[in-house]
Amino acid sequence: MSWLAAALEWQSRAVVARHLRVYLRNWHTAFLPPAVEPVTMLLAFGVGLGGYVASLTWQGRPIEYMNYVAPGLLAYATFMTAIFQSLFAAFIRMRYQRTWEGQLTTQVELTHVVWGEVLWAGLLATMYVVIVAAVLTVLHLTGVLGIRAGLLPTLLPIAFVAGCAFAALGLCFTAIVPTIDHMNLPVFLLVLPMGLLSSTYFPLEHPALVALNLVNPLHHLAQVFRGVLIGGPVAAHLAGVLVLSALMLGILVPLDLRLLRRRVLGD
Amino acid sequence: MWALLDARNLVKHLGGRRVVDGVDLVCESRQIVGLLGPNGAGKTTTLRMLYGFLHPDEGRIHVDGVELGRDLARAKRSIGVCTQDDTFDGDFTVEQNLTIAASYFRPRPADLARRVAELMDRFELTTYARQKPETLSGGYRRRLMIARALVHRPRLLFLDEPTTGLDPQARMSVWDLVDGLRAEGLGIILTTHYMDEAERLSDALTVLARGRVVARGTAKTVLGDLVGEHVVVVDAAVASAVAAWLAARGRGEPASVLGAWHVPLSGDELADFARAFPSLRYEVRGPTLDDLFLKLAL
Repeated sequence: MSWLAAALEWQSRAVVARHLRVYLRNWHTAFLPPAVEPVTMLLAFGVGLGGYVASLTWQGRPIEYMNYVAPGLLAYATFMTAIFQSLFAAFIRMRYQRTWEGQLTTQVELTHVVWGEVLWAGLLATMYVVIVAAVLTVLHLTGVLGIRAGLLPTLLPIAFVAGCAFAALGLCFTAIVPTIDHMNLPVFLLVLPMGLLSSTYFPLEHPALVALNLVNPLHHLAQVFRGVLIGGPVAAHLAGVLVLSALMLGILVPLDLRLLRRRVLGD
Repeated sequence: MWALLDARNLVKHLGGRRVVDGVDLVCESRQIVGLLGPNGAGKTTTLRMLYGFLHPDEGRIHVDGVELGRDLARAKRSIGVCTQDDTFDGDFTVEQNLTIAASYFRPRPADLARRVAELMDRFELTTYARQKPETLSGGYRRRLMIARALVHRPRLLFLDEPTTGLDPQARMSVWDLVDGLRAEGLGIILTTHYMDEAERLSDALTVLARGRVVARGTAKTVLGDLVGEHVVVVDAAVASAVAAWLAARGRGEPASVLGAWHVPLSGDELADFARAFPSLRYEVRGPTLDDLFLKLAL
């Protein structure tokens, strides 16, 4: 299973280091969206929509809507960051900047490029979660939210694993869409439905959605974060995140490699 | 002692088609091997196998004694690649492009800061060190591409059409740099569509057509084998008699360029031609690699 071992090889780390270097160079603008987005979302969904909902029942007990949404924001940030990084940013590097081709003329192989993209998207998603978590902590300390803010760091490894899995999914589309305009298809047909119908912003009660969400890692991620931050069962959803992430990585990374080998190398 | 590059019996199928069919290629230190052929001859696929982009279906490639199929990373440590299209990293400056390229090699290039400064100086890039590559002219972009391919001190360099799109001055400047690299001991595989470039730079040529090697050797040998000793240039408008003369010798219609036929002939054939057409106006010249390409394309 050399494709799996490649994740730990120095070439994959060199690719991640390259992306990190570019990101940190623009840190002042790069850090802005994840810091502003949760505030906007909390205002829109928490204060705005929350004004009508106020509280809801979760795990058989009433909780304030703002406290319900806050963990969902963290899960949504993990998902959107990882998948958009692997869809748009990776596509631009592959197709327009030809960064991949330049890397492939060195000791870096396609397997490392793919793992580098997956690990970087996972890392970036985790970094975004850290920023969103910092905003949530401030809101907690000012009394706007009532969450177990001290447990926020425990969410980071889970966010990283899930972020990597979401990136592996995004790379499949990067490998097959002909132009960047065609990214609308996966975004509207998969990313937005998967993101919004996954108990991130509101509980799902329709039996069909409940059944569908059994195989949606984002739903399990949101529920794990919620269980940790506002108190509730965690084990089953944690198992869901880990099993689904492992399955996605085990199936999608080899598929990404196969599709990208054809697209990038013409093989 | 082994050759820097030793490729034997390379075969590659793409899209169900055998695009490379039993190609052999050898390159020694201090040697430039020109890899030539018309479009679709299998040049790019061969090159991509040689620098490890594609795995051959059959055959073996050794780089500096290391088999590519067995230890790709080690073999690639000895290889520098300058691709036909610019593939520098647009997120970084000229100087950073060299350091980031070095980060993709292990062992890491020794004394990297000095190596980068040395390359920028040699390729006259120092003035542009803090600029983004896309702001450079075509000639300087090529310089950056070649400098980047050399940052880890490879022993074998692949130059895929290094001067395409450059003005004559920039082309000659790249030639000087390539010539200097050969003098320092590098083995170089060069592909080009410029025949003067191939003739001036290459120590040996390998000519591909339809995936096979059709000739190899010095430019003179290759031209003698494939084209002939002479080329007669005759106005196509008055060439019907020449067509009949060629047909009688089992030869088809020759290449036509701007209303003139370019007819390759051996020494004996030229003597026959002169006897057959004593009053015809024509020009006799030596064969060039352009004639070879025209012949292979027919």
